[in-house]
Formats: sequence, structure tokens, C-alpha cells
Amino acid sequence: MKYLSTPAGTTRIGLAYGPGIPEFVEAHPGLVDYIEIPFEQLRHSPLLRSLQESVPLVLHCASMSVAGFVPPADATIDAIALEAERMRTPWIGEHLAFVAADPLALPGVAPGSPTTLTYTVCPQLSEETVQQVVDNVALLQSRCTTPLILENPPQYFTVPGSTMTMVDFVNAVLSRCQVGLLLDLSHFLIAMLNTGADAHQEVTRLPLERVREIHISGLNTQSGIAWDDHATPAPAPVFELLELVLAHSRPLALTMEYNWSPNFPASILHAHITRVRHLLGTA
Amino acid sequence: MSARHVHAVMAAGLANPHLIERWQQEPTLLREYGLSPADIDLPALWKFAGLAVKVRHNGLRGDLPWTFRLLNVLGLEADIFASYGSFLAKTGTSLGNSSEARAHDLCAFLEGWLDGENPGHCLLWDLIRHELALMQLCKTSTPDPFLQTLAPLDQGSPCAATVPRICGTIVLHAMRCDPQTVIAALRHVSPPLHTLPREPVHLCYWRQASTSDIQILHVDELGFYLLSCSDGSVSAADLSRRLVGGRRVAPNLLNGLAQLREAGILSFHNKAKKTAR
Repeated sequence: MKYLSTPAGTTRIGLAYGPGIPEFVEAHPGLVDYIEIPFEQLRHSPLLRSLQESVPLVLHCASMSVAGFVPPADATIDAIALEAERMRTPWIGEHLAFVAADPLALPGVAPGSPTTLTYTVCPQLSEETVQQVVDNVALLQSRCTTPLILENPPQYFTVPGSTMTMVDFVNAVLSRCQVGLLLDLSHFLIAMLNTGADAHQEVTRLPLERVREIHISGLNTQSGIAWDDHATPAPAPVFELLELVLAHSRPLALTMEYNWSPNFPASILHAHITRVRHLLGTA
Repeated sequence: MSARHVHAVMAAGLANPHLIERWQQEPTLLREYGLSPADIDLPALWKFAGLAVKVRHNGLRGDLPWTFRLLNVLGLEADIFASYGSFLAKTGTSLGNSSEARAHDLCAFLEGWLDGENPGHCLLWDLIRHELALMQLCKTSTPDPFLQTLAPLDQGSPCAATVPRICGTIVLHAMRCDPQTVIAALRHVSPPLHTLPREPVHLCYWRQASTSDIQILHVDELGFYLLSCSDGSVSAADLSRRLVGGRRVAPNLLNGLAQLREAGILSFHNKAKKTAR
């Protein structure tokens, strides 16, 4: 089995798991340091664990509902912790978001089961949510020995009751939790575009010294909203943000999330890896 | 406004996008949950639900690459997948278990959703049917039930008693624009879709029984008709009667059948010589 080492001062380059990615990694020995794989995918297809015979894996997760008020099942937390230990992942990357919520019931009507989604949702950006994240992280850290890092979510609209900007929310969480930051630059740009904020100015307000991992992917604008898009290459503004961040911080890992389409051009994948290595000074 | 309650409302809407549509149409429904439509960007929430539906169709990108490219270029992804999400929720329909099922279900939804007067929608309708036909033929095996029951091939010229049948498997589509020119345009960074010639074409997607190759044939309206009816049970006389009436078989119909046999897509049998099994 291959395991990822993450020495300080070095940035490992990885790809998010998706169709064609293992084949690309195999065809380009030495180009990619690891594959980032979702816990949910491994749970569904345990045979994917065998990928680690040829390439280190890093665990990503969308099941902890860190910013939610309905906790995941104990069995889910145990399974995540076990997977992380088995994989020897340097950390578990989880979204600063929620996947489950209380059932919606009219006054006087008995509520049903919680609403559970298959994807993460940007929470209300408020003190109430920050405190919930702090409580949730404390609980998760008592159950998992593997370090947790939190990923900023894409914000497509202002969640009702929000009292903070995305940056203020992330700062508040990190100031009260012992976790690293998984800075998704595409999510960040999306949030800035959709809220009319200045991305270059705001990114430097983040605690960049806490960044352990960076994500980059594409985005596209439709109906006046910028959306996450892992089927298209990261645009120039994402790379501009990356340069800005790298001027302040040296993450331990950088993952490219080009995992929605088997047709994603290998030439672009190769070019972006080369471009990132150049920016990191490791070309 | 409690975060816990806001999350509950958002999650309920995302799990059932049709509910979001109802909140937009009847704001009192939302007010019953303590929120007014002014508090929340319902159109954006609805489209976010659509993004999740789109992601669940990523498995189709390998088979429908140009359809997804065109959706992106036309800026229709958010609207279409949000509408599709609402449709699925409203009808209680689950997504299909296979790529083929999901592709067919999406295509069936689009048939009702797309506006036949909108040029971009027309391109999309043509392109998804084009890629779906290729997908279907790639994944099909070609059982040949008629080979067992029909008389030996008739090598002579077609006559009234000739029963034409397809050699292999075909899919027929009448398009408003040649999808292959649309694909060529989509290879550009900025696809020149507005310059594409809008000329109706009749296409026959053909996979021969003996090969996995798929040919795309441009046929005329008569050829399209003959291929669409050549199911191994209808004689040339019947085909002619349905098309032009009368008892005499139209000469151009016989000529058309002969050409299609020459191309290898039809074989001729004689209904009268059919052997019982």
C-alpha cells in the first residue's frame, strides 16, 4: 500500500477521484502524488480501496454535516474514522456545510424523519451556526484520531438569517476550532462573485497560515449565478487567487477537482498540473 | 431567524424542488413555515436543486458529451436540470438505475420541455437524439428473430410481394439541422451556432448485424419512410398502398427499395415463401 507523506514546506499535487483519473495517474508516473477519494464512494464501492496499491489516497468526506443541527449516525462516524485509519490519510477533508436537517413540519403536525441530502449545502452564516460547528467538531474530534480540515462551501445565494460574510464565518470557526483549512478557491470565487465581494481583497483576510490543502476546479455562470463545475477547467481568476494565496502560505497539498466528466481533456489536466507545479516552484 | 429552522426549510425544498415552485406560486405555503419569499432567493434555491440533479447525470457525460457541451454553451443547464428535478419530485419518479435509462428519461423529459420554436432548443433536441441513437446502437446486441422465420433471401429485383427488412439495427431521426455540423461547431472555443445551416435532414443510424460499426446515412423522405416501415412483415405492395394508395406498386418505391438493398441496409424476402416453425 502507498501512503502520502506531507512534509512541511512541500506541496503534494493530487487529483480528485473520478472516471478516467486512475488511468491518467497510471499513464503519467510521477506526475500525481495522490488521489483524493470521497468516503461515500468508498462506502459504496469498497473495491476502490485497491487503488492504494499503486497511488496514495487522501480521504474526503461529505457526511459529517459539520455545520448542521442533525448529527450523522454513529455508525457513519465510526466508518469514517475506520476508513481514515485504514487509509492512513494525513487528514479528513470535510465541508463546512450541512447535509441533513430537521424535517419540515407544520405547527401541530408530528414531524417525520430528518431530511437527508446527498450533497452539502452552505449553512446560515451566523453566530448560531458557528457555535454549532464548534460543538460538532469537538464531538467528531473525540471520535476520530485523524485530523480534520474544513472546506469553505460555495455560496450561491444569501442564506436567510445570515449575519456574516463567508470570510468572517470561516474566520470565526477557525478561531474557535483546532482544525486546518481546506481552501477551495473555486468555491471561494463563487461565493465572492455571488455576493458581490472583492475576491482578491477577501482572500487575504482568511487565516492563510491554517491552509493545509487547496482545491481548484472550474465554475460556470448561468442565470446570473456562478456555479461549481468540475467538468470545466479552472479559469484564470482561480489561478490568480492561487498565486495570491501561495504568496502567503505553503499548503501541504493541492487537489484538482476535474472529476465530473470522463471526457475532461488529459492535455488540460497535464497542463494544469504543470502550471501548478511551476507556481509552487517545483516544476 | 433560527439557523436550525432555516436549514430545515432549505433542505425540504432541495429534497423536493417541486415544493420550491409551489412556494413561489403560493407564498402563504412558505409563510406557514415562518419564512416569506422575500427572505430567501427561491429561484436560486431551485436552481441549486437542479445542480444536484445535473451532478447525478455525470455518468451520462461519456455517452452524451456534445449534449452536455451544448447545454453549457447555451446556458441551459441550470434551467433544464432544475425543471427536471421538479418534474421528478412532482411525479415521484426515481432516476433510472443505468446510464441508458437515465439518458432515455432525460430525453423524454426534454421532448416536453423544449420549445420547438427556439433555435437553441431545436439544436439541443437534435443533438441529444443523435447521441442517444449512437449510445443505443453501441450497447445493443442484434438478435435477429426474423432470420429464423423468413424464407431465404430473394436476390431478384423487388416486386409487389417483396418483403424488405432491415439488416442489423437502425434508429431513424428527422432533424432540423445536421447534428454532425453542430458537433463540428462545438469544437470551437466560441461555437458559431448562429451560422449553422438549418436544413432538415433525415438520418438513419445503422449498425449491421455482423459488425459493431455504426454508420450514419443521410436518406431522402422516401428512404426514411421505407426504412421506418421495413419491419420484415410488410410487403412492397402494402408499403406503396399506405403511401400513395392504389393497387399498382409505385415504380419509385421499388427503385428506392432496390437502392437501399444495394447499400446493404435492406434484404428482401418473399412473404409467400415464409416457412412456419
